[in-house]
Amino acid sequence: MRVRDIDKEKLVVINAIELIVQDGFQGFSMNKLAKACNISVATLYIYYKDKDDLIKKIGAEIAIEFFTSTIENFSPDMPFEKGLWIQWQNRAAFTFKYPKKVAFFEVIKQSPHAEDILNSTTKFSDFRIIMKQFIENSLHNKELVPMQFEVFWSIAYGPLYTLLNFHNEGKSMGGKPFKLTQDMMKEAFEAAIKALKP
Amino acid sequence: METDLDKIYIFKTNIEQLCTDCEVTKTLNNHADILQWSVDTDDVDYVLRIVSESLTAKTIINIINDLGHECQELN
Repeated sequence: MRVRDIDKEKLVVINAIELIVQDGFQGFSMNKLAKACNISVATLYIYYKDKDDLIKKIGAEIAIEFFTSTIENFSPDMPFEKGLWIQWQNRAAFTFKYPKKVAFFEVIKQSPHAEDILNSTTKFSDFRIIMKQFIENSLHNKELVPMQFEVFWSIAYGPLYTLLNFHNEGKSMGGKPFKLTQDMMKEAFEAAIKALKP
Repeated sequence: METDLDKIYIFKTNIEQLCTDCEVTKTLNNHADILQWSVDTDDVDYVLRIVSESLTAKTIINIINDLGHECQELN
């Protein structure tokens, strides 16, 4: 009898992330993955129908993990500055802890599966609702300048993501060695807040 | 509900392409004992995955062979 082997499944997820980050979505294959895990191709197909099914399932798992972590200790009723800072801390903490998962998600975002993944559970729409509420409350309390959503997002999170990218690559402009510190994050956050607050 | 892992069968085939009108698609879609099926046409082994409560690997191989395709169980 076949038994679901949780350790084996975890091994598959870890190796799939590793391979996709390394070879990209096109270079990835079920055969390569089976070899990397030291399991038979058949075992892999027991758990996943095909490459697309595997990528969607792992992508959804990571997306849920990421979104759940971004709203830890956060509530949409918080004052704008406090709430946004918690979001920054959470997003940075996840990136520091799981750089591979973040890199994997970046690859997946460019793939044709991104939408399927984001529509796979209602958890993602719940997350969108929370963020929408946070923005609406902040506008209502006059803690945030009205602006187009994408403009808001790029100012509110863009600086953080740029710094996190430098950190993950270990270098910034012109190959200068780079490590993100809490001080630097605070400095960027204060600059972003200046642009967002009335 | 989770699929019983013992009811999943995995085969290496030479089904390189699938279309809604293909014999393979029609036969597998209409087979009463096949609960779920898929072919990974992106894979070098064109892996066929079948979920069935009652069929045996041998019966499935015969079905695929009768459709003019090679089929070999993967373990």
